[in-house]
Amino acid sequence: MKGIKKQGNNITFSVIVIILALIPLFYSMGVISSTSTIMFLGKCIAFSIAAIGLDLIWGYTGILSLGHGLYFALGGYAMAMYLKLQATGGKITEFMHTGGLTELPMVWRPFTSLPASLIMMILVPAAVAGIIGYFIFKNRVKGVYFSIISQALTWAAYSVFIALSPYTNGNVGISEIKSVFGSIKGDANLGNLYLLFYIALAIMVVIYALSYILVQTKFGKLLVAIRDGENRTYFSGYCVSRYKNVIYIISAVFAAVAGALFVNFNGSITPSQMTISYSITMVIWVAVGGRGTLVGAVIGAFFINLCEYNLSSGELVNIWQYIIGAIFTVTILFFKGGIVGVVRDNIPSLLSKRKGVSR
Amino acid sequence: MTLVNTLFNGLSLSSIILLTSLGLAITFGLMRVINMAHGEFLMIGAYMTYVVQELFSKFFPEQIQSAYYFAAIIVSFAVTFALGCIMEKFIVSRLYGREIDSLLATWGISLILQQAARSIFGTQGVNVNAPSFLQGGLNIGSCTFSYNRMFIIGITIFCMLIIWAVMYKMNFGRQMRAVMQNRPMAQCMGINSKKVDMITFALGSGLAGIAGCSVALLGSIDSTVGQSYIVNSFIAVVLGGVGSLTGTVLGSGIIGFASIIFEKYTSSSIAKAVVLLIIIVVLQFRPNGLFTIRSRSLDE
Amino acid sequence: MKKLNKLMALAVAAASAISLASCGSSNAENGSDSSTVTVGLLHSMTGSMAISEQAVLDAEKLAIDEINAAGGVNGKTIEYIEEDGASEPSTFATKAEKLINQDKVATVFGCWTSASRKAVKSIFEDYGSLLWYPVQYEGMEQSPNIVYTGAAPNQQIVPAVEYLIDQGYKKFFLMGSDYVFPRTANMIIKAQVEATGLEVVGEEYAAMDQTDFASIISKIEASGCDVILNTLNGTGNVSFFKQMAEKNYTSEDYMTMSFSIAEEEVKTIGADILKGHMVSWNYYQTTDTPENEAFVAAYKAAYGEDRVTSDPAEAAYDAVYLWKAAVEKAGSFETEDVLAAIKEGDVSFTAPEGTVTIDGENQHLVKPVRIGVIGEDGLITAVVETDPVEPDPYLTTYDWAVAANIQPLE
Repeated sequence: MKGIKKQGNNITFSVIVIILALIPLFYSMGVISSTSTIMFLGKCIAFSIAAIGLDLIWGYTGILSLGHGLYFALGGYAMAMYLKLQATGGKITEFMHTGGLTELPMVWRPFTSLPASLIMMILVPAAVAGIIGYFIFKNRVKGVYFSIISQALTWAAYSVFIALSPYTNGNVGISEIKSVFGSIKGDANLGNLYLLFYIALAIMVVIYALSYILVQTKFGKLLVAIRDGENRTYFSGYCVSRYKNVIYIISAVFAAVAGALFVNFNGSITPSQMTISYSITMVIWVAVGGRGTLVGAVIGAFFINLCEYNLSSGELVNIWQYIIGAIFTVTILFFKGGIVGVVRDNIPSLLSKRKGVSR
Repeated sequence: MTLVNTLFNGLSLSSIILLTSLGLAITFGLMRVINMAHGEFLMIGAYMTYVVQELFSKFFPEQIQSAYYFAAIIVSFAVTFALGCIMEKFIVSRLYGREIDSLLATWGISLILQQAARSIFGTQGVNVNAPSFLQGGLNIGSCTFSYNRMFIIGITIFCMLIIWAVMYKMNFGRQMRAVMQNRPMAQCMGINSKKVDMITFALGSGLAGIAGCSVALLGSIDSTVGQSYIVNSFIAVVLGGVGSLTGTVLGSGIIGFASIIFEKYTSSSIAKAVVLLIIIVVLQFRPNGLFTIRSRSLDE
Repeated sequence: MKKLNKLMALAVAAASAISLASCGSSNAENGSDSSTVTVGLLHSMTGSMAISEQAVLDAEKLAIDEINAAGGVNGKTIEYIEEDGASEPSTFATKAEKLINQDKVATVFGCWTSASRKAVKSIFEDYGSLLWYPVQYEGMEQSPNIVYTGAAPNQQIVPAVEYLIDQGYKKFFLMGSDYVFPRTANMIIKAQVEATGLEVVGEEYAAMDQTDFASIISKIEASGCDVILNTLNGTGNVSFFKQMAEKNYTSEDYMTMSFSIAEEEVKTIGADILKGHMVSWNYYQTTDTPENEAFVAAYKAAYGEDRVTSDPAEAAYDAVYLWKAAVEKAGSFETEDVLAAIKEGDVSFTAPEGTVTIDGENQHLVKPVRIGVIGEDGLITAVVETDPVEPDPYLTTYDWAVAANIQPLE
C-alpha cells in the first residue's frame, strides 16, 4: 500500500505508456477507427514532452516561463527545415524564390543533413535559452518579471519570424513536408506511422525517466529548495542563478524535442506555435494535470488536448470555449494540485474506507 | 514639421498604451493580481460604446446624438466596474497571494468572455462612429492633429488625475494603500479590507472599460480586440515597475515613442521586435522595473 | 469542501472518460447510411479569423439547406460536420485529417487564410480528398485536390491595377498585412506597374495585430503617392481607415484600391469613411442578376435583415453548388470520379455573380471581374464589369509576369 502510494506517479505513467503502446492493437481491433486518431495522439505525446519540461522549471523550480512556445517552435523549425529540404531535394524553396533569393541562404545550409539538423535542433534552443537565462538569472530577475520577459522574448521572436519571410515564409511557416520516415498518411503508410509513433513514445519515456531521475538527485532537491526559498538557498552557499539557468536550458531543449516530434506528425510548422497564447496554454496543461508531479504534465497535456479536439466540432462548436475556459478556471481556483492532486487526495481515503482501515 | 508629427504620434500612442495600462497598474501593480481578462474588460467597454450608440440612435432625437459618447463612457465604466465587483467576489478573492495562479485562472475567464461576445454580438465586428465633435482633425500648417487622439490624451490625463485624487486625497485611497501595504495592520485599524479589495479591483476594471470606449474610436470592435492591447499593457506596467503609477506612465511613454520612432525607419514587425528587445535589456539592468518601491524585506 | 472535492474528482474522471471514449468512436455510421452524404465545413469559429470566416460558413450552410430542400444531391440529403480551425494552421491540419480519415466526409469546404490552406494542402493531396477553397488568394498554386472558387490574381488584382493605370494614376503605394497574400500580391503588382514604366513609391507591411497606423500614414504622406493598393486583412482595415479619416483624408486625397474589403468590412468600418474608395472583386451584393436577388433574399431571411452578402460568401455558396453539379455529372461521390468530371471542364453553375465554370486544367473558376466603388449606403456598385475571365493562377499568359520571373521554380 505504501509502495503504491510512493510509486503512484510512476505506476500511472506506466499505465499511460502501456495504453499508448497498445494503440496499434486497438486500431487493428477496430476500437480506434482511424489513423488520424493515432496521428493526433502522436501530437499529444509531443505536447506531453514539452509539458514535462515546463513542469521541471515551473512545478519544481518555481520559475514561470510564458514563452516556451518559442523553444517548441525553434525545435519544430529545425526539423521542418530539414524535412523541407528533403522535399525539394536541397534546392531553394518556393517562398525563397518569391522573396527574391536565388540560392539557399546560409542559415539553411546545415539542414541538408539529418545529423546536423538534429544537432541544430538541440543546439539553437539551448544556446538561446542559455544566453537569455544567463543574463536574466544573473541579474536576479524573478517571479512575474521573468514571466513577462519570457513573453516579450517570444513576441519579439514571433515578429522577427514574420518579418523575415524570405527565410521563414512568414506566417505560413514551413508546410508540405513529410515525416522523417516518409509519408505517414493512409493505410499504405501505416508502418511509417507506427515507427514514428513508437519512437515518439520511446522519447517520451526517456524524457520522463531522465526528469524523474533528475528530480531525485541533489540537483532536483535544490530546485525545490529554490522554489520554496530562493534567498535561503543563496545563503546556504549555492549559486542559484547557475542552477536556474541549467534547468531553463534543459526545459527549453525538451520543448525543442517536442516541437521536432510535433512537426513530424503535423506536416507543418507556423509561427503561431510561438505565440504568447500558445505558450500560456502549455502552462495550463501542467496546471490542470498537476504541477510538480511530472506525470501530471503528461496527463494535463493529453486531457486538455483531447478535450479541445473533441469539443471543438459539431454541435459544441459555439460553446466549447466556455467549457475549456471553465475547466481552466475551476481547476486553478479549487484544485491547486490539478487532476493528480485530486486523485491523490481522494483515492487513498476511498481505498482505506473500503478496506475498513481507519487512518 | 515631421518632427512635430512624430512627437504627436508618439504622444498619442503612449497615451493609448497608458490608458489601457492604468487599470492594470492598479489591479496588477497594487493588488498583485495578474488579470488576463483585463483585455476583455476593455473589449466589453468597446462593445458598450456600440450598444449605447445604437440605443441613442433609436430613442433620442437627432440633435443630441453626439452626446451618446459621454453616456457611453459612463456606461462602459459602470458595466465593467460591476463586472469587476462580481469577478472579485467569486474568483479573484480566492487568488490573493497566488500571482501566477491568478494569471492562469483569469486566462480561462478571458476565453469565456470572448466567446460570450461572439455569442451576443456575433463574430463579425461592430462599428462605432466617432461623435461629430471628434470627427476629423485640426489642420495646423502641414500637420493634422486628430480630435480623437487629442481627446484620448485628455481622457488619459483626466483618469490619471482621478486616480491620483482618489489614492492620495480621499479617505478611501488611504484605506486602499493601507490594505495593500499591510493587510493585518489595516484590518486591526478597523478597515473593511474585503470591501476595499473589491472596490479597488472594480476600479481597475472600470478603467479598462473607459479605455475600451476610447480605442473603439480608433479601431475594430470584435471579440479579440482585448488581446491586441493586453500584452503591451503588461509590458508597460512591468517596465515601469510593478506598484508604481509614475513607472507605468514612463513605461508607456517609452514603448509608445520607441515604437513610433523605430517604425519610421523600419517595418512594423521589426520595430516591434526591436522595442521588445530594448525592454528586455532595460529589465536586465533594472530587474524590478524603472521605479521600484524600496522595501527592507528580503522576500517580498 | 471534502464532499466538493470528491464530486469534482468524479466529474474530472467522467470528463476524461468521455473525451477519451469519443476520441475512439467515430461517425462511421454516417457513411453507411445510404440516404445521406456527409461533408465537412472547416472554418475558424474562434480566434482572430472568426470575424471573417463566419460569413463564409453561413453561406455554405445556406447552400446546403437549399440543396436539401430541393431534394439533395443524387437523391441523398447532405449532412455536415462543422470543425473549428481556431485561426491556427496546425489545428486546421489536425481537423482536416479528422474529417477525411475519421469522419470519412465526401468533401470539405473550408479555410480562409493562405496559411491554413497551405497547412492542409498536402493532407488533401496525400489522402486523395477534395477541398473547396472559397476565398480570393495570391495564386501561384494549383493543387489537384483543391478547387479554388475565389478569384485568381488575374481575376482581381491584375485587372484592378490595369484599371488604375487607365485612370491615370501614376504613383502607387503598396500596403498590406504582414503575411503571404499581401507579399505575393505586391510582388505581382510591382512587376505589373514597373512594366508599364510607372512607379511604386512605397511598400509597407503592418503586423497582423497592429492597432496604430500613425507611422504608416506618415510614410504614405511622405511618399507622395496618388493611389494606395490596400491588401490589409481583417481588423487592420478598420484601424487604418478610421485613422485616415481622423486626419481628414477622404478618397479625394488618397484613393485606395482594396482587395480584402467587402460589404461585411464596410459595415464594420463605416460607409461614411469609405465612400468613394475602390475595391476589386467578382461579386457585390448589388450585382444585378435574378440569381443574386434570390441569394440575397435567402441569406437575409436565414441570418437577419442587417446581414450583407459579400464576395467570399458568394464564392462559398457557389462552391457547394459546383460540388453538387460535379457530383451529379460524375454520378458518384468518390473524389476521383468528381475530379474526373471537373477535368472535362464543363461543370458550371448559374451563380449570383453570373455563370461560373470550373476550368478543368487548373481547377479555378472562370468568372467575371468587377471593379467597384463604395457608396454612402455601404453598398458597392460596379463601375467596370467584364465578361468571364479565364483563370491564370501563375500569370503565364502575361508577358510582364513572365519577364519578371515571378512564377514558381518548377
